Amino acid sequence: MIRAFGRLVHLHNVSGGILAGDRLSLEVDVAADMQITTTGATRLYRHRAGAEDSEQRVNISIGDGATLEYLPDPLIPFAGSRHAQRTSISLGRNATLIWWEVLAHTFDFERLQISTAIDICGKPALREDYLLEPSKRPLTSLARMANSTHLASFMVLAEGKTSDLWSIMADELRKIAPDNWGISKLAAGGVIARALSSTGRHFSNELAVLRNTASLLVTGKPALPPRKVY
Amino acid sequence: MTHTTLLQLLQLADSAIPIGAAAHSFGLETLTSESILNPDNLENFLTDWLEEAGTLEAIFVRRAYTGNVRDLSDELSARKPARESREASLKLGRRFAQLANSIADTQIPLDLHHSIAFGSAAAALGIDEDATVLAYLQQSVAGLVSACQRLMPLGQVAAARVVWNLKPAIVQAAFKKEVSCFTPLPEIASMRHPSLETRLFIS
Repeated sequence: MIRAFGRLVHLHNVSGGILAGDRLSLEVDVAADMQITTTGATRLYRHRAGAEDSEQRVNISIGDGATLEYLPDPLIPFAGSRHAQRTSISLGRNATLIWWEVLAHTFDFERLQISTAIDICGKPALREDYLLEPSKRPLTSLARMANSTHLASFMVLAEGKTSDLWSIMADELRKIAPDNWGISKLAAGGVIARALSSTGRHFSNELAVLRNTASLLVTGKPALPPRKVY
Repeated sequence: MTHTTLLQLLQLADSAIPIGAAAHSFGLETLTSESILNPDNLENFLTDWLEEAGTLEAIFVRRAYTGNVRDLSDELSARKPARESREASLKLGRRFAQLANSIADTQIPLDLHHSIAFGSAAAALGIDEDATVLAYLQQSVAGLVSACQRLMPLGQVAAARVVWNLKPAIVQAAFKKEVSCFTPLPEIASMRHPSLETRLFIS
């Protein structure tokens, strides 16, 4: 279900979560300024014997001069769940993307595949492919999440901005982010901030602060509050 | 593989090759300075690092044999969100290509990541692909262990033992086909490295 409030769009899942075998697909063409969010965490329910892994495909095209803020609530894979999330976002000329994502590893899920591809004018700007199977490759490894249970990512990408802007943004985000956040310029025009934590309690406030600062720098406008209470 | 190509591979994968690898820790300096990484957990860390980041690099060494190396390098840049580690990989690639072009008369572009430049040079020299991937991973972990010898109380024998014990993990990483890499802790450590008060390494 989709509820639109002008340029603000809420995504609802009437089942309250994603069930084994579900196939969700979201196709979005952004032609102006737009914000997409969810009404609550995306819950991935336990896999059912004989069912296929659930899957969510998101394909977004941000047209020339358009801006998308994609601000979903956390992804929570429940015990025994098996799921694939595939997200593809393309940016046109002078297009902007502001995106955050939080993964909560609070239950013993079976398998979570996350594939993300962001292109700017056809050139790869971000590629991430995660295959998480905690029983085979423990997430508690120091090469992965160690003793953390939550991973938050915040990123801003835009076409047509100068390298100086991204340096300034990285510096500004570094000033306001707590110590557990890493901030970095991306290769093809953008900034990413990422943090691990043993609790997700602080992430919503921290992400909102990062978003406000980044939004002012990249769009010249303050961030539009999502129409909901965290 | 001929005796000559074996010797060429050994030289290209020698950690003493002068491309500046000794100046980079790829985020391990942050993990050590925060007492997360130490001699007792280093081997386990590198085993899992090979399973994730090692697999990714191995696949790009292999792809350099047949793919468009500049497109591959652009894709690998997009897979390295931490600026310091990404730029370190590109710097080593440039220095490696300069050296290979100079001594082996190859024509490797100078703007490639290290793994892609390495694969490209080995392909141009007719070196066996599997051996090249294995040698690349071996020199990668040897470089990281060498960095750790300067960061923590890790003696020469202990360091040699870690590299020796990692060989099964190197073999596993070398032959995976699917690109997947999930290393948020070392990645965030690399992003935070510029903020360390005292730094021995560039990355």
